[in-house]
Amino acid sequence: MITWMRRNLFRSITDTILTVISGSILGYVIFQVFQFVFITGRWEIIQVNLKILLVGRFPEELMFLVGFSILATCFSIASLASGMNRPIDQPSTLAGKLWGLFQRFGLIIATSAFLIVLAGDMAAVLFGAYVVLSIFAGRLFGIARRNTVLKRLPGWLWVAINATLPLVLIFLTMGQAALEEWGGFLINFYLAVVSIALSFPLGVMLALGRRSTLPLLRWLSTAYIELIRGAPLFVLLLLAGVALEFFIPASIAPDAIFRAVTVFTLFTAAYLAEVIRGGLQSIPKGQAEAGKALGLSTFRITFLITLPQALRNVIPAQIGQFISLFKDTTLAGVALSVFDLLNVGTAITKQDDYLGQGLIYESLAFVGLLFWVGSYVMSRESQRIEKKLGVGIR
Amino acid sequence: MLDSVIAAGSVRCGTRDALPGFAVLNDSGEHVGFDSDFCRVIAAAVLGDANAVEMIDLETADRFTALQSGAIDVLVRNTTWTATRDGSEGANFLQPTFYDGQGMMVTSDSGYSKISAMDGAIICVAKGTTTEGNAALESSRLGLDWEIRSFDETDLILEAFLAGQCDGWSSDVSQLTGLRSAYPNGSDALTILPEVFSKEPLAPAVLDGDTAWAQAVNWAILATIQAEEFGITSANVDSIRDTTEDVGILRFLGAEVPGSDGAAVLDPNLSLPTDFAYQVVKQVGNYGEIFARHLTPLGLDRGLNSLWNDGGILYAPPYR
Amino acid sequence: MSPQLSTSSKVPFFRDIRTLKWALQILALLAVFAMFYWLFGNYQENVAKSSIQTDLRFLDNPANFTIPGNDLDQSQPVRDAFVEGFLNTLRVAFIGIALATILGTLIGIARLSKNFMVRTLGTVYVEFVRNLPLLLLLTFMNLAVVLQAFPRIENAWLPLDLFVVSNRGIAIPWFIGSPAQLGIGILSAAILAFVVAKIRIRQADKTGKQDRAWLVGIATFVVLVVLIWLLFGYGWELPYVDGRGTTGGLRLDPSFFALVASLVIYTSSHIAEIVRGSILAVSRGQGEAADAIALSGSQKMRLIILPQAFRIAMPALGNQYLNLIKNSSLGATISYFELTQIAQITVGNGSPAVPAFSLTLLVYLAISLVTSLVVNFFNRRLALVER
Repeated sequence: MITWMRRNLFRSITDTILTVISGSILGYVIFQVFQFVFITGRWEIIQVNLKILLVGRFPEELMFLVGFSILATCFSIASLASGMNRPIDQPSTLAGKLWGLFQRFGLIIATSAFLIVLAGDMAAVLFGAYVVLSIFAGRLFGIARRNTVLKRLPGWLWVAINATLPLVLIFLTMGQAALEEWGGFLINFYLAVVSIALSFPLGVMLALGRRSTLPLLRWLSTAYIELIRGAPLFVLLLLAGVALEFFIPASIAPDAIFRAVTVFTLFTAAYLAEVIRGGLQSIPKGQAEAGKALGLSTFRITFLITLPQALRNVIPAQIGQFISLFKDTTLAGVALSVFDLLNVGTAITKQDDYLGQGLIYESLAFVGLLFWVGSYVMSRESQRIEKKLGVGIR
Repeated sequence: MLDSVIAAGSVRCGTRDALPGFAVLNDSGEHVGFDSDFCRVIAAAVLGDANAVEMIDLETADRFTALQSGAIDVLVRNTTWTATRDGSEGANFLQPTFYDGQGMMVTSDSGYSKISAMDGAIICVAKGTTTEGNAALESSRLGLDWEIRSFDETDLILEAFLAGQCDGWSSDVSQLTGLRSAYPNGSDALTILPEVFSKEPLAPAVLDGDTAWAQAVNWAILATIQAEEFGITSANVDSIRDTTEDVGILRFLGAEVPGSDGAAVLDPNLSLPTDFAYQVVKQVGNYGEIFARHLTPLGLDRGLNSLWNDGGILYAPPYR
Repeated sequence: MSPQLSTSSKVPFFRDIRTLKWALQILALLAVFAMFYWLFGNYQENVAKSSIQTDLRFLDNPANFTIPGNDLDQSQPVRDAFVEGFLNTLRVAFIGIALATILGTLIGIARLSKNFMVRTLGTVYVEFVRNLPLLLLLTFMNLAVVLQAFPRIENAWLPLDLFVVSNRGIAIPWFIGSPAQLGIGILSAAILAFVVAKIRIRQADKTGKQDRAWLVGIATFVVLVVLIWLLFGYGWELPYVDGRGTTGGLRLDPSFFALVASLVIYTSSHIAEIVRGSILAVSRGQGEAADAIALSGSQKMRLIILPQAFRIAMPALGNQYLNLIKNSSLGATISYFELTQIAQITVGNGSPAVPAFSLTLLVYLAISLVTSLVVNFFNRRLALVER
């Protein structure tokens, strides 16, 4: 212990000085944070407004739909994860498994527990319990798939079955509650997921177009990508806020969410196209040549050989793009007055009961916590996937 | 536009949701205020039902684009009628509902007693309003070196003002009065300086190019002024209609007027129901009632907004 | 199925690959044109309904607003306001890029330090900041730091009696005199110092002694600047609180401070990661060779590792600089008068929205393009010339 300290902290005079300075900075910061969170912070504002922070003005009667969607998604993710073949490097002892789970999901579990404590009512605790139950059920389902006759189900069918339930519930939720009523964290999540899903096909097309041998397609794709990449997302959102209605017939009155999704999709597609193009460039030419030797058409070579490998290679970069988009959804709040988490966070400090009391610290701390946990967990998962896939090693 | 409104069964009224006195949301989520009532006046006149109105909250930056794109039918959002807006914004402004002026609000302990004493001050205004230009003009006219900071929304100005970043807050006096009444440190902490330095007629606006709709909305507004001139309120409108012999009032309320050819109802062909004025007064009230309901509690005097025969400039053309 | 061996049969016209290629391109072009035509048709139709302008005439209208910290008169045309906004964006960009690079490099190196504390501090900083949205940082800087933490002007902080810090801005000591003259003076001093350093290197090469060119260069620069200062009679001005404002010195707009601070903090965390990655990417052999010829730790960094790391990092750094410039558009949310804020205000004052915002977009595109070109230029100059 002492030797470790000597080697890492007190190697020389300058080193010791650096240790003392940085140590005191770190200590001061930790102390202040601790004091703020547990002692001086007035968290009542968050407790009272927890619902609008998380789901906006979602109608109370339909909240159960949100709940069911979350449960269904947890179920599907758990069953998909355990339905695949078991990775070889899983720890075999229970303690090892628990530690692994803790490392991966500890942060999410801690944050959810924190939210449940904040909500402070039995319903929240029950919901937490339901979530755990649905994850277990999903795992059982996945294990069942691995070990029983369901093994014969083709992979795509398995994924389809798992995807239907949450998707159906989500569409039901969207249908029942008007999108203007969505808000808070839910709308950030919704915007990010929908935009990246919609931008995928467009991004793939643009990437292929940019690498195309047909000069016109290449020119068009390059022009689009460079134009979008040179423009600030904020200005694009502002433009959409005032201009979109001039470009579409008056019968389709675009609401704020529609505009936000449009801009985010077009924006992300350009960046995704660059990421995918990088992936395509990393595939050795031999792959395409082998395809040609087999007599496959260009179309088939691209979609059966090159593209799947390229997409797999850049999964971490794609996840990075998603994280970026997730954080950028806050811009929709200021540019288009969507009631996203940050917007609600600043708005609640202006409620009659809380105006002028300097509660902005607590509010922004909560908003920051949710965004931070989301981004951090996603980036850690992407690092894990990167390691698992052996990207860059094979 | 008139046909589409009738077909839709409700008037889409562009408004706002957080200006005390003009438009705020009450606990049940309904819009309450001076402007909100005039939205209801238009609905009562055109559709016969004051509640057949869809309130669409707009940010200051979006209000004209919403009108231009057809997202709203009429803009009733304490908007100043200026030449530029009539022209380049493609708006058509109608009878002003409130003749206002731009003023300055300071903290009571700042020591300022008049605008000309505010040399080198920091003035906070809202972005994209006439306030900015007027403040800039005023600053150069009086030779005061103001630093004018403009913010997206009123809340942000409030935050900056509370923190002491602004020496003065400039806006329409009616807005300032409303904001002062809701100030967290109490309304006595703020003083609205006596000088008023611009003309700010606040008027509803419709889109250019639709005369029928514009006239219909215009006469709906004028009905409230005319009703006050006749002394008709929502309480006595029924009894007046049944008992009066004044031909002018009978025509106004769309009642039968005895004439040499027998009783007839005046229909000036404004594409409005003949009893629109009756519906307006009965369901919402006359101008004085609307004013007293929302603006008098804030401490605003009628001032210029009294009737022409009462020292003000509200004058409705005769209904005949 | 046996492959067709005879090539004498003519492929029909509509299956010939060349026609198909052209057909596809023409189809794509037609589709794009059709889409644009439809969009533009809607635009014309909607605009004709209301009498809104669609050209750039609005640039000649009087601005009707003033810009804090600037002498723009409200009767000057909108065009001048846009120019001011553009200059403000450039100011934010220059200072932001400079500070972010310095901070980012320091933290990146700190993350690789052998000292555990320093390393932890760096890691905590990077991991914390990287996962937060920029808008959150900006809102925090503006609403929490500037409006809440900074004192009111009556109770302004006076650190070192040199600065005045309040929620109305930060006043720093500044020189009195013509800035253009001083700028030219500093530039010429820098060039002269550079030349002197080069001469010194050539001298030292002949004798084999240590050139200490850095020292010589900096010393020359300082001496020259002091000479210019005294010769032209420049003076210093210290700010002090004067009623409700500050007099003297240079007052930094509080929004400018918030914007630059949040941009620097955010971008520096990304730059730190890039620097760290690029230092790690320099092959180990280089470091080991440096150790073999007994270079000290700082010499190793300075002479061997950092130059190579810099070459690796250049493209990614350029990307971050572009991001910083684009992110400066968020200044509009905290009422800093950069380009986007100017656009928003003129649109609110009656300028037509689509032309105004399109103009803004074009300006940002131009800035992005120029920055990309500059970065690419440096990239190519620094690129390894392979065998």
